[in-house]
Amino acid sequence: MVYIQLPKLKRERVVVLTGREAVTISILSLVVAFIIFSGFLMLEGASPIEAYGHIFTFAFNPELGLSTTLHRGFFILFSTLAFIVPMSAGLWNIGMEGQFYLGTIGAFAIAYSFPNLHPALLIPLMLIVGALSGAGYGALAGFLRGKLNVNEVVVTLMLNNIAFWLVYLLTVGGPWAGIAESTSRPLPASAHAPIVWNIPFTSFLAIGIAVILYIFLKYSVLGYQIRVLGNSPVVAKHIGINATKITILVMAIGGAIAGLSGYHMWAGDPAFRLIPRPEAYKAIGDLTYWGILIGLICLLNSIATIPFSVFIGSIIVGSTVLVRRLRLPFGLDVLFLGVISLTFVAFQFFHHYRIKRIRRG
Amino acid sequence: MKNGTPILEVRGITKRFPGGVVALDHVDFEVRAGEVHAILGENGAGKTTLMNILFGVLQPDEGEIYVYGKRVKFRSPLDAMNLGIGMVHQIRKLIPAHTVLENIILGHPKTGTIINMKKAREEVKALCERYGFKIDLDARVWQLSAGEQQLVEILRALYRGAKILILDEPTSVLTPLEIDSFLNSMKSMAKEGIATIPFVTHKLPEVFAISDRITVLRRGKVVKRLETREATMKALAEYMVGREVLFTLEKPKVKIGEEILRVENVSALNDKGVLALKGVSFSIREGEIFGIAGVAGNGQQELAEVIAGLRKPIGGRIFFKGRDITNTSVLERMKMGIGYIPPERLGVGVIGNFSLVDNILMGIYFDPEFSNKGFLNYKKIRDYAKKYISEFEVVAPSIDTKAAHLSGGNLQRLILARVIPRTSKLLIANSPTVGLDIAATEAVRSRILACKEKGMGVLLISEDLDEVLQLSDRVAPIYEGRFVKILSAEEAKKEVVGAMMAGALSGGV
Repeated sequence: MVYIQLPKLKRERVVVLTGREAVTISILSLVVAFIIFSGFLMLEGASPIEAYGHIFTFAFNPELGLSTTLHRGFFILFSTLAFIVPMSAGLWNIGMEGQFYLGTIGAFAIAYSFPNLHPALLIPLMLIVGALSGAGYGALAGFLRGKLNVNEVVVTLMLNNIAFWLVYLLTVGGPWAGIAESTSRPLPASAHAPIVWNIPFTSFLAIGIAVILYIFLKYSVLGYQIRVLGNSPVVAKHIGINATKITILVMAIGGAIAGLSGYHMWAGDPAFRLIPRPEAYKAIGDLTYWGILIGLICLLNSIATIPFSVFIGSIIVGSTVLVRRLRLPFGLDVLFLGVISLTFVAFQFFHHYRIKRIRRG
Repeated sequence: MKNGTPILEVRGITKRFPGGVVALDHVDFEVRAGEVHAILGENGAGKTTLMNILFGVLQPDEGEIYVYGKRVKFRSPLDAMNLGIGMVHQIRKLIPAHTVLENIILGHPKTGTIINMKKAREEVKALCERYGFKIDLDARVWQLSAGEQQLVEILRALYRGAKILILDEPTSVLTPLEIDSFLNSMKSMAKEGIATIPFVTHKLPEVFAISDRITVLRRGKVVKRLETREATMKALAEYMVGREVLFTLEKPKVKIGEEILRVENVSALNDKGVLALKGVSFSIREGEIFGIAGVAGNGQQELAEVIAGLRKPIGGRIFFKGRDITNTSVLERMKMGIGYIPPERLGVGVIGNFSLVDNILMGIYFDPEFSNKGFLNYKKIRDYAKKYISEFEVVAPSIDTKAAHLSGGNLQRLILARVIPRTSKLLIANSPTVGLDIAATEAVRSRILACKEKGMGVLLISEDLDEVLQLSDRVAPIYEGRFVKILSAEEAKKEVVGAMMAGALSGGV
């Protein structure tokens, strides 16, 4: 008799995941995503090597896509950081989109109210009010969670929808409506973001926040309390950590960071400098969800999210050449982003489990 | 099979794990029909590995297993079961919502697709009569006590035709009364020629009472084989640990000082919203250990949490050194010098994903001495952690090791190293030695006595009656949320307290 021995596989729980393992897992997931998408490209008769070459040469060409790549990348970085802070305390902030809209409303309200203010005063004011609006919106979900134990995922998700319509009410035929149909009035020149090295200065603000958050979460007393709560609410309770206070606080911090991205997005890109039509600002709002994936993949390490966010920005910007330059079917660029996010999600499995081969006796 | 004939033989079993760990090193022993052959060993001695090999979960790297003189190889537990080896797990593998009968016949090859309940009931009934087991076959498993659930597991194995029963820590969760009936069922099984192999870490006296022969494992090797009647408790403990063990810790003579804690008529709900603690009053003084003996689920957990500040009482008041602390927070109580050792370690007392330093930090993070303008002074914290990790003998490669890699005994030492140095007045120790081996248990108990010696008050809560009696100055058996009585150390005889905590005796002693 001949037996064919198939390897017997066993799933094992990962107790402690090291940073190196996390990096390996994300690189592997990217490789898999590129391989899968190569299949789609070949199905459309394109050469994968050529297509990927086009994507990255466009995205990183200073004459072409680079500034947009960085602008979108840092926009996603804001969202990622806004996700990381609550997640460190074990809370899922799915509301970066809504907090970004609120930040937009706050910043634009200031710009329209005081168009003649000196930029050195107006711009910080727009940023502060934008951050506070986002913070309040985040804190609302934090309060419901911390005080009344209402699930924050549901609340933030629903608040996103409300915020979308708030912007809609203000722009489409509302008090902020511009001459062109369904966009807002343009921002006054005094509100435009100063450009440093071809990118808005707020990009450096995002990097600064990432570094500060890293130090804050790792070395501050409050950051420690946040991490304890995130690892075990039961332990936090046993050592006297006030979970309600921290829950509201982290949601407010997250909301504030997402709120800042409102100014960064519209005042930082010369192509906008206003709130565009609803489907366009919704498309930008949808980018905030990359923050969830990036935050999880980087194991909530805010420094690691900087290059990762820029990388995702490059794919978002670069993949548009598939349609524009290679004349491939419309939507293939979105498909690429979809494939990447799905493989990332699938590879999260390896953050929790290992597959082991067991020897037969 | 005639009693006394060898039915299971294990020769030269060796098992290595990745990383060069030799869990078992040429282990051999034999088990005869109708005998109780206890395997003793501390945590990490290789007991679990041996058990898993005997039950076919793991395969040995070297060595042979013989059942009825025939060499066998188990590829899975199914092979072992088919050869008449049954297993009674420490963590029950029963379905709580199903009846006893349903649990017993579950997974039996005879059961098949269509269940013949009537026939199965008759068979199980006959089995019960044969061994003298008394159990209601229609009771739901969740309604049963720990001892009855164990009986269901035994019955399930016997129903499958087991002739050799492996028992994992059989007496660890039983009350004194249940232990008696368990010992009786062991005897009746032995009479019918069933060989039982209890694996034991913690509770030596029971093993002593039931076994015929004992094999002691230490670090994967058989260090001693002996007949039970030749053995003494002290000698056995020494074989297990590899050094002399002080069985009766010297209770230090300490002057009992002023009152530290006074609990007046405190009531509390449990997590399900049911009244679990029904008006308990007592006080603890400096240098006094107040022990609460009870079977889990009688309100002692809620009491400990109320005093630690983790649970709001629905009635009554708590005074700490004369001050009403009924409504103060956990943090304030910690700052006052009240320390709490929770009954569970990972996820309650320790964060596995944190380094040892960050775990020690849980006891001092709020202390301004260890931070500067809101930022942690890690240099000071590391020095502090280093000092107490070595003082409390936590064995770990470094202070940056993640706590998840530590064994149970080391985790408890880590919790003690966090709690005790910051506790100056009152220590609440809730099941501090549950699941620990002899050496770790001894270490924890001597730490508790050291707290007493320093003049702290200690509230000791434990299901282990011996522990409560050995350490406490006063003992309160708790039953259904009330103290049956508060007894002095002299009054607290094992039989009396045991009966009280089982609800069999009211306060009139």
